[in-house]
Amino acid sequence: MQQFISDQIMALGLPQWTFNVVWALIQGLLVLVFILFNALFLIWLERKVSGHIQLRVGPMRTGFHGALQTLADALKLLGKEDIIPSSADRAVFVIAPIIAFASAMLVYVVIPWSPNLIVQDLNIGLIYIAAVSSLLTLALLSAGWSSNNKWSLLGAMRSASQLISYEVSLVLSIVSVALLAGTLSLNGIVQAQQEWGLWFVVLQPIGVFVFLTATLAELNRAPFDMPEAESELVAGYSTEYSGMRWAYFMLAEYSALLAAGALNAVLFWGGWSGPFLPPAVWMLIKVYGFVFLAMWIRWSFPRIRVDHLMNLGWKVLLPLAVVQLLITAIIVVVWG
Amino acid sequence: MNLSGVLFLFVALITLVAAWRVVVSERIMHAALWLALTFFGTAVAFLMLNADFVAAAQVLVYVGAITVLLIFGVMLSGATEVRGDTNMTFWERITQSKGGNPVRAILPLLAASAFAVLMIVLYHLADLRIYPAESVITDTPHAIGLALFDTYVIPFEVASLVLLVGLVGAIVLATREEGE
Repeated sequence: MQQFISDQIMALGLPQWTFNVVWALIQGLLVLVFILFNALFLIWLERKVSGHIQLRVGPMRTGFHGALQTLADALKLLGKEDIIPSSADRAVFVIAPIIAFASAMLVYVVIPWSPNLIVQDLNIGLIYIAAVSSLLTLALLSAGWSSNNKWSLLGAMRSASQLISYEVSLVLSIVSVALLAGTLSLNGIVQAQQEWGLWFVVLQPIGVFVFLTATLAELNRAPFDMPEAESELVAGYSTEYSGMRWAYFMLAEYSALLAAGALNAVLFWGGWSGPFLPPAVWMLIKVYGFVFLAMWIRWSFPRIRVDHLMNLGWKVLLPLAVVQLLITAIIVVVWG
Repeated sequence: MNLSGVLFLFVALITLVAAWRVVVSERIMHAALWLALTFFGTAVAFLMLNADFVAAAQVLVYVGAITVLLIFGVMLSGATEVRGDTNMTFWERITQSKGGNPVRAILPLLAASAFAVLMIVLYHLADLRIYPAESVITDTPHAIGLALFDTYVIPFEVASLVLLVGLVGAIVLATREEGE
């Protein structure tokens, strides 16, 4: 397909850079369609999973077992009136959901779905992911502040402190993997696991636990959903948002969930490698496996308290991550 | 001018406008967000120089951490606006006094021109050769790692020590003595 477009542009006599622009746009569109489709599917799945865990059936009426429910919801959101609170800071209020969604979408650039199915295999892949996902904090803070509402502001402050606290452990657990693999490229990490002959989950048992917990906290998902604790903060940073702007936050949340699943699969579960089935299928199985686990955890554990959250982050996860890093470094130096 | 030149001018313009807005914004929150855009523009400039690792680190550290800490500080301190006396003229604002005593304007002007002179001197002293395309390093993390932990390991450790001293100093300053 890349070759075909390249030939078409050459035939029209346009310079090379037009091809780059067109190809980038097509890739962006493909990623966008993938994210939108998955967000629809994941929100439906979340409602079904939560329903069955709570001995309900979840949405049943729209489509087969409620499969079209989120589509109907999305259409409703599109048709809603665009409300900006009169005391809100308009420019920041408008731009915050866009930054949130952009940061969630940018992660997809480096995720390898199969050996060749990857937008761009950057050799700084892991740092790139840490960098673009750190933009989310900024977006949530802007959203909370610009709403000019104390619930929003409190939610934003909580989410910022939570993201900063857990990012440290998260990055440390990723660094251990990078040390083992000897590369920061995500495709390189999958290949390294194939060369070792085993998945890093075996070599990094503490790292898997730290990564999973820190990711759930980064995603603001229960049991770490203090930023939007509905019983105390209405809806946290998104209290004043409605319609499509609110949908952007929702999209960002679910595409970040899917990206976290992909990252988990790549770092610890061998990415696209696996027997018999094609690579992309293995990758999707692992990603949705993680997503299901995240939903299972969300609907099984109660929300933890803010001070417990900070204790867990700084006094449990961080030392564990450092220990894992130390052990990994020793092993790499001795055996490498 | 070729395409990358046009792109660079575009990015540079955005970065400069953002930097200007940092200084003139009346709300600290706006200033912080413009600052984030300035850092982001700088990261794009790094990217155009094939310094992908530095660009990613710039976004991670400056946009993702420093700006967020800044905003956090603003929210905790409750200082949301920096609005001077709006009746003042431009000259009076610079000197921060009614009637615009010109002597008080000398210090900021001096500082600004000293900085400008420093930049010009640095520009002329710097080694600004154009390197051939083959010598451009593509595996930047590897090269930077070797440079930091091998060639320049002592300056690197000294810098980390200085940062540690700064951190301890900040904690000492911020901690209130008991009974206060």
